[in-house]
Amino acid sequence: MSESWRRIRAVAGNTFLEAVRQKVFAVMLIFGLVFLGGANYFADFSFQEQFKFLKDLGYATISLTGLLVGLLGAAQLIPAEIERRTILTALCRPLRRWEFVLGKYLGLAALLGAMLMIMALMFWVVLRWKEAQLMGTEGSDTAVAQAIQAEARDPRLWQAFVLMAAKLFVISAIAVFFSTLATSTTFVVAMTLMVVFIGHLQSVAREQWLESGETLGWILKMFLAAVALLVPDFNLYNLIDEIVAGNVVYWRATLEVAAYSITYVLVLLMAAAWLFEGRDL
Amino acid sequence: MSPAVLTGSLRKEFKLGWGRGRVLAVEGLDLEVKRGEVFGLLGPNGSGKSTAMKMILGLLRPTAGQAEVCGFRAGTLAARKQIGFLPENPYFPAFLSGAELVSYYGKLCGMGGKRLEARVQELLALVRLGGEAGQRPLRTYSKGMLQRAGLAGALVSDPEIVMLDEPTAGVDPAGSREIRDLIRELKQRGKTVIFSSHLLEQVEDVADRVIILHRGQKLREGRLEDLLTQTTEWQVRARGLREDRRKELHAWLVQQGAEIMQEGFPRERLEDFFLRSLPEKERR
Ligand SMILES: Nc1ncnc2c1ncn2[C@@H]1O[C@H](COP(=O)(O)OP(=O)(O)OP(=O)(O)O)[C@@H](O)[C@H]1O
Ligand SMILES: [Mg+2]
Repeated sequence: MSESWRRIRAVAGNTFLEAVRQKVFAVMLIFGLVFLGGANYFADFSFQEQFKFLKDLGYATISLTGLLVGLLGAAQLIPAEIERRTILTALCRPLRRWEFVLGKYLGLAALLGAMLMIMALMFWVVLRWKEAQLMGTEGSDTAVAQAIQAEARDPRLWQAFVLMAAKLFVISAIAVFFSTLATSTTFVVAMTLMVVFIGHLQSVAREQWLESGETLGWILKMFLAAVALLVPDFNLYNLIDEIVAGNVVYWRATLEVAAYSITYVLVLLMAAAWLFEGRDL
Repeated sequence: MSPAVLTGSLRKEFKLGWGRGRVLAVEGLDLEVKRGEVFGLLGPNGSGKSTAMKMILGLLRPTAGQAEVCGFRAGTLAARKQIGFLPENPYFPAFLSGAELVSYYGKLCGMGGKRLEARVQELLALVRLGGEAGQRPLRTYSKGMLQRAGLAGALVSDPEIVMLDEPTAGVDPAGSREIRDLIRELKQRGKTVIFSSHLLEQVEDVADRVIILHRGQKLREGRLEDLLTQTTEWQVRARGLREDRRKELHAWLVQQGAEIMQEGFPRERLEDFFLRSLPEKERR
């Protein structure tokens, strides 16, 4: 096991190193950071509005940057190795195919995690900076000062961070799953987006059917069950929107979603490894 | 002891998909490579050399037949532990340095720590990529340097079998001589070397045994000596024979009833001439 783990770590480390040295990701990260930093200068309304604006923009930036890296990065993980034929010099070693798939995924996940972490920290700094600014101008009133601090030190930032990471990890796992079948990155991206789309729709569709009171034919039931099983329910991640809107979201719910996500990632990776096992290289 | 590589009726068909039919790449291939042997896979482009190697490594699934490496089923972890492989026109992660590449492959073989570090340095020195060259990104390497870095990578775990697909393709004569010297050295250390080539004169120098593939099928097989020695003819190569004596020799041979097929000044191979023209210390 320890030897197996060492090999997985080598693949993951190499993947991480490649992304870092390719600098594309550095550019994206800088884009995210600049955007977050710049967001501070836009707002000029009441402090509630300022925080609202800052948070909308901040969460959007983090999740967009994360999506670019998670989706595009994951979609080319394996196709690029096949295209460049570097996969031959890796998989002729005593390295199992599932170890390769897992290592690749973990390398990307580490990169994604690191990027999200850096951006979340940056966001936190921006919020505290705003706090300091506002305290200077409007903080003389204790009630206002408390309200400002509550907004700026909102611990839900970290919940949103966990939820975003979970969502992006699932999306990248879907992309890795498709990339073990395909050679074209475009195909992988398109398929992944389609699954995410279905994932958003499925629970809405299910509710619609249930509410309409129609009795469903068993074929339709089976179909819905299959979709529900195969496609993660992306509406769960709407908790992020709740947080941005300022609503209460419990940690328990957050962690449940995280656990659900990890389960899906594991299932997807196992399926990916299984499909990849028999593939000619 | 089980042979280094054993295949039985190995066959590979590639499905082209979307009803475009299939390509038969290897058909009914029986191979036995003994331990400690230098084995050459010869054949024109598209004859199935690379396909056969990839099946032995488990990178491709055979359509039918089986392959074993040192007694282990091809493609299993145990089988792959025995082989170091250098693919044809290899591409390596260009963002790594030579040293990082060899070290990465070492880790993929489950190696690590001080032992791996020492091994990396030893191998880089062996393929003349020690010092500064080993620290540069592969992106900046020449074709020959890449090939040598790949060789070091193939040897990192000190495998029993070294499998090289067109190791001398795109390498200059001096470089390809070096690779052949390395193959000989590996043989001396008791390793089995399997390599493919269509540059036949280079194979001659090092291979103990060869097979010739054509359209996926085995045409000929055997020890080079047996295949190439023409026991119905005789050849003499002499020095210091005066011109008038040459005529005498000719007449005598005719008198003995021999049919003279070739006579005259021998010609050096261009490769040897080329190597002789290089400065002394770069010849090796
Ligand atoms: N992935 C593939 N899909 C379809 N056909 C393939 C594939 N790989 C190889 N072939 C076909 O199989 C045959 C054998 O190819 P292979 O690469 O093994 O030849 P080779 O002897 O290594 O040739 P070369 O000297 O050019 O390297 C060729 O006809 C080739 O077109
Ligand atoms: Mg070939």
